[in-house]
This record gives sequence, structure tokens and C-alpha cells, in this order.
Amino acid sequence: MNLLEISNICKTYGSGETAVHALKNVSFSVSKGEYVAVIGESGSGKSTLLNMIGALDTPTSGRITIGGMDIFSMDDRRLTVFRRRNIGFIFQSFNLIPELTVEQNIMFPVLLDYQKPDKKYLEELLTVLNLKERRNHLPSQLSGGQQQRAAIGRALITRPSLILADEPTGNLDTQNSSEVITLLKEASKKYEQTIIMITHARNLAQTADHVLQVSDGVLTDLGRCRE
Amino acid sequence: MKSYLSLIPISAKVHRRQNKMTLLCIIFAVFLVTAVFSMAEMGIRMEQTRLLNKHGDLTFQEVMNSTTGQTLCITAVIFFVLILTAGVLMISSSINSNVTQRTKFFGMMRCIGMSKQQIIHFVKLEALNWCKTAIPIGILLGIIVTWGLCAILRFLVSEEFSDIPLFGISMVGIISGVIVGIVTVLIAAGAPAKRASKVSPVKAASGNSENAENMNHAVNINLFKIETALGIHHAVSAKKTLLLMTGSFALTIILFLSFSVLITFVGYIMPQSAAASDVTISDIDNSNGIDHAFLNIISKMDGVKRVFGRRGIFDIPAHLDSNAVEIDMVSYDDFDLDCLVKDDMLKKGSDISKVYGNSNYVLAAWDKESTLEIGDKIYVGYEELEIAGLLKYDPFSSDGLTNGEITLITSGDTFIRLTGAADYLLLLIQTTGDATDEDITAIRNILDQNCTLNDLRGQRTSGTYTAFIFCIYAFLSIITLVTVLNIVNSISMSVSSKIKTYGAMRAVGMDQRQISKMIAAEAFTYAVSGGIVGSTAGLIIYRLLYNVLIGSHFSYAIWSLPTIPLLIILLFVCMAAITAAYIPAKQIHSMAITAAINEL
Repeated sequence: MNLLEISNICKTYGSGETAVHALKNVSFSVSKGEYVAVIGESGSGKSTLLNMIGALDTPTSGRITIGGMDIFSMDDRRLTVFRRRNIGFIFQSFNLIPELTVEQNIMFPVLLDYQKPDKKYLEELLTVLNLKERRNHLPSQLSGGQQQRAAIGRALITRPSLILADEPTGNLDTQNSSEVITLLKEASKKYEQTIIMITHARNLAQTADHVLQVSDGVLTDLGRCRE
Repeated sequence: MKSYLSLIPISAKVHRRQNKMTLLCIIFAVFLVTAVFSMAEMGIRMEQTRLLNKHGDLTFQEVMNSTTGQTLCITAVIFFVLILTAGVLMISSSINSNVTQRTKFFGMMRCIGMSKQQIIHFVKLEALNWCKTAIPIGILLGIIVTWGLCAILRFLVSEEFSDIPLFGISMVGIISGVIVGIVTVLIAAGAPAKRASKVSPVKAASGNSENAENMNHAVNINLFKIETALGIHHAVSAKKTLLLMTGSFALTIILFLSFSVLITFVGYIMPQSAAASDVTISDIDNSNGIDHAFLNIISKMDGVKRVFGRRGIFDIPAHLDSNAVEIDMVSYDDFDLDCLVKDDMLKKGSDISKVYGNSNYVLAAWDKESTLEIGDKIYVGYEELEIAGLLKYDPFSSDGLTNGEITLITSGDTFIRLTGAADYLLLLIQTTGDATDEDITAIRNILDQNCTLNDLRGQRTSGTYTAFIFCIYAFLSIITLVTVLNIVNSISMSVSSKIKTYGAMRAVGMDQRQISKMIAAEAFTYAVSGGIVGSTAGLIIYRLLYNVLIGSHFSYAIWSLPTIPLLIILLFVCMAAITAAYIPAKQIHSMAITAAINEL
């Protein structure tokens, strides 16, 4: 069953002679629990594609459905709630809230929903992410790897069906990078979550179920790796 | 480029939009000081001319040594200090935000070899560079406004202002404007310059948020919802911004309250009563000898808007608390009684409605030494009269004090019942705007010989009063407007510096309403702390100015809490906080999430 369906997505910035076509008729689908890597040169359109899937940006034309829901048919409020509950984001520069502790940062999407976090699940995440002893630390008191693990926790706390990671290892050393990827893969398996990850590192892409390449706004399916 | 400092004008051109607010703050401070001091000098010159015409010879020093001169000086100094503080706070807050926004730029400057001292030099010179434009504009504005105000006073108000110089240039005004401009900018730039010099060169290389390192305390999310807790934390965690914003809000309140003392002061030196008359007719023998029929006759004559009268009997034996006393009794017609309410002459707890018509209720004149209370009963002959209300002071004595005498005010009907006297002691006439001297002569002609008519039309002070009030309100509006603008700008800048974090918050599921609530919580935290500090300090300064200007000159004046001005300014503060939250919230709403996240 397909969780994500993308059909004929185009994104154009500017108009006339200065128009830049960031995405050109991109179509693909991702099934539930699948781990997809998106590779491509800088400026090829990878991040634009990820922003569209995460409903952070709107396409010029085309349609995106997540779990059968056309995400651009929703108004901003519903879309925000949908994103909060169904999509987890992991950024290259972590983007943790500087004034919140590790634990508060992880709970943040649940708090935005005015819900009480599932204590058991929170403890489980802190253990899995090896952040139990750092739970009351602020992001500025953490290393890069720890910050990214906290960001992964934040992406997982609502048990979203889709996790979008934009170069999650871009700011990390080799050891931290492989730790983060292992964590992501374990989570995807354990909680049956779909992961779409942008990466520059070909070796990391090879660990994915499926690899897509974006070049000059055109998407090419490089096929399955782990089969 | 001759030196690294040549970057200043180039940078100023690029950041023209961000610098607009700082420029406006300097212009405002210079303008206000120039205008205040120029007007003061024009006032002194006018006074000098007037006294010269009157006494023949008087030096400037003598004018300054007079009580009026000294009161003016103390007031001017207090306002000068307030404006200077307002200027320093506003400019400092503006430069501070400016520096915060350019942390990366200063980091880069340090990276490529600028020393700490050079950074301090850079920021200070950058601030002085604004003076180049702002000071001349401020001074020019100050001079033009002074000319305009002088023209209004001379031609529209005239009266005692006919001697005021029209196109006078005040050197004192210009010099104080220049000094205030440079001094405020140098004081204001000091702290931000040091802050900029402390920026680590690493800042330029790392992509870390500027605020991250300053975060020492985590947000307390137990008391409020997450967005409110974050907003309050944003306000409280940045100590310097909190101090400056609290100061800006507080200063708006302090200035507003201080200026409102001036309005009260003008009310005391030029009391404007609704019952003020243009013509009075009094009985020569000081007995009730003016035929009450005149009231009807005069009211129908040309140029007459309204006529009302007062009767009076003095030194009547009476009993108060079984003590024998002597009282004065004055009758007020209904219009006169209405005016007591309009002029806010009655003390709290008074019920004037009982006094109208034929009743046993009266009003009594009062002062701080008076022992009379509402509900006291006074026996006149066999009649029992109850005090239904007290006047704030004695309107029948020149100093407003009762000097231990009891004066009762009754309605016309009650007075006639008690004394049997229907004729008047005094007739008060309000004329129409187009009343001519012939109209007054016509009134004079119908009077008999035991009446004297006083034409008081030339002593009207309503024009002067309006002019003063207009000036005070104009200054007040400018102050309020500029401080509100400054607050809006500061919060907007504070939001801009956190835009990347807001973008991330939006991405992980914070909706626009929550973003707005977060910014509003930040703005209201500043407003509440400013409100508390401002109200406390404002009331102390209000009291001080009240004592200097009013208390020491008008012995009957009683200080009371300026509730209405305080409520008005607190309402303004709330509105400023709402506007301050609305504008940046709208900016974020219109900004794409991806743009916010990618913002450096």
C-alpha cells in the first residue's frame, strides 16, 4: 500500500526569462515503512522536493497525497495540524528550540497539540536515543550528534507515518552519522514509519530500500538497493 | 575606500530601512529639546518685553530669579532629563537591535582582523553618522514648530501673547538640541558597541543561532501553554532587551503622567468654569437688592446667551452639633448647580440631586482644615438642613480656603423658603459670541442706581487655555507616537532575530495562531513589566511635579491619584503591545516556512 503518492509536481520560481524550474513533472510513490534516499547535486531540487512533501512549500502544479489525503486541499490550519501529527522533520542544522531542554524539545509537537506526552514512549525514546542523562540539558550544552539525536526524538514523538530528513548527517562526523542512520532505520522498522532522506553521501544512500536521484529538477528512480 | 571606517556610509545605505527607526528616535529627541527650549526662550523674551513695558527696566537675570522663572526652570530641567532618558533608551534599544541583527557581520569583521577597539569605534561612528542627518532635521523641525506655535499664540490667542516674537531663533534651543543629539547617541551607542566587540569570530563561521549561547535557563512549561511560556521566556531571558523594552514602556507612562500634571496646572492657573460669566451685575449695598424680574428681562435681550443669579445672607446664627455657629448662605440657580457637577467641583460621596428644588439639603464649601462631613445637620431657626455634598474648595475666597467659616449653598427655592428673600445679590450673564458693546450698554441702561455692571469679556482666558492644552497634547501625542513606534520596531527586530527558530517551529507543527500568541506573550511581558515600573515611577514623578507646580502655589489643591490619565496611558500601552505583536506576527504569516528556516 502506498503511503505517499506524488504526481506531476512542478515548481517554478520567478517568471518569464528569469524563471527557474526547480522541479519538472516529478512523479513517484513510496509505500508504508519504506526507507527512501534522495541524492543529487547542490541546487538540483532535492530540498525543494522534500519541502513540497512536507507541505512547507506549495508546488506550481501537481498533486501530493499522504495516506490518501491531498495535502494541498487543506487550509493552512488543518495542514499545520496534519503536519504536526503525521510528518516528522529532521534538518541538517538540527533546528532545535534553543530555550527548551532536550526533553521539552522532543515533546514539543505534542505540547503544540495541547496533549500530555506518553511518558512511557518518551522514556523509551530517550533510552533508544541515548539521551536519558542529557534530558534536562539545553541544545547549546550538547554536541552535534546529541543535538541531531534530540531532533530525531522530536520527529518520532508523535509516531508520524512519514519522516523527512534533509541531510541529517550533513553536520556530523562519520561515527555520529552512522549512529544517526542506524537509529533512523531502527525506528522505521520498529514503528513502521516511512523515511525519505536527502543525502550527499552515496554510502548512506546505499543503505536505503530505494534510491531516487534529482538532477536539474528531473527525478530518476535508481531502483531498490536492499533487495 | 580610504580606511575601514569608509564602510560606515556604505553600510548605512544598505541598511537604510533598519536604520530608519534609529534616525527617527534621534530626530525626535533633538526636535523635542529644540522646541521646548526655543519656546521657553520665546516665553522669557515675551515676559521681558511685557515687564519692560510695565516697569521700564528689567534684566534677564531678574526675570530668571523671579518665582515664576524658577518654577519654569525646575519644570524645564525635569522635562529635559525625562526627554534625555527617553532619547537614550529609545536610541539605545534601536542600536542594540541593530547590533543583534548583525552578530554574524561583526563576527566576520573580527574574523578578518578587526580588533575589539575598532569594532567599538565602528559602532559609535556609525551612530554618529546618523546624527549628521538627524540633528539638522530635528533642529529645523523644532524651529519650524516653534514659529508655528508662536504664530498661533500671537494671532489666534493674542491676549497676553501679543508680545511673543514671531520668527525668533533660539540659540539655547539649537545648542541644547545639538548637545542632546550627540550626547544621547554617544551614551546610547556605548553598550551596544561593547556588545558588538564581544562577538566571537566563531559566530561568523558557525551557523548557530545567535541567541543559543545566551540561553542559560530552560522554559517553565508547567504554568502556561507552550507558546505562551516560550513568548514570556523570550522576553525574560534577554535581560538587556527586557530592560530596554520595560524602560521604553515605562517612560511612555512617566512622560504621559508628567505632561498631564501640566494640564492640571494650566487648569489651576486658568480655571475654566462652565458657569464663568462675561458680565456681572452686583448690588452696591451687598444686600439682595437686584429685582428678580431682571433675570427674565435680561435673558430676552440681544447678545445674551444665559442669565442666572445668586442670593446671599451672611453671618446667620445657627447650630452645628449643638454648638452655636455663624454661617453664610448662598443660593444657586439650577444652571449654577449643574455647573458644579460639570466643573467637577464636588467631593466624592456628594449627592447634588437632593439639593435641587425646595428641600432641606444643602452643599457646603470645604478645605483640608474643614471638619464638615456629608450628612452633618445644621439648624437654622427651626429648620434642619442636611449637608448633601461638599465642594472641593471654597469658591468664594481668593485662596480657595474656608478659613474656618461655614458657607452653605442652597437651591433658589430653599433659600426663598428659609429667608423669604427672592431678589438677587448677583446676576451672572453669559453673552453670545457676537455680543456688541451696544448690547452691554443696553443692559446697563435698564438697571437702577444701586446696581453696578462689570464687563468681563476682555478677561476671557479660554483661548489661552485652549492654546496651552493644545501644545501639551501635541507634545504628548508626539511622545506617545514615537515611543509606541519604537516599541513596535523593537519587538519586530526581536522577532526578526529569531525568525529561523520560528520557521523551525512552524515546520514541526506550530500553527500561525500559536506563533501570534507567542509573540503577543512576549510583547505583553514587556508591557506588564513596563506598566508596573512606569506606573510606580510615573506616580512618584507626578506627585513631585504636582507639589512643585500646584501644591506650593494653590494651598486648596488636594492631590489625588490621576486615575483617568493612568487608565488612558495603560490602555495606550496595551494598544501598543497589540500593535507591536500584530505587525511582526503578520510578517511571519506572510513569510513561507522554507524562507524562514533558510533565513540567516
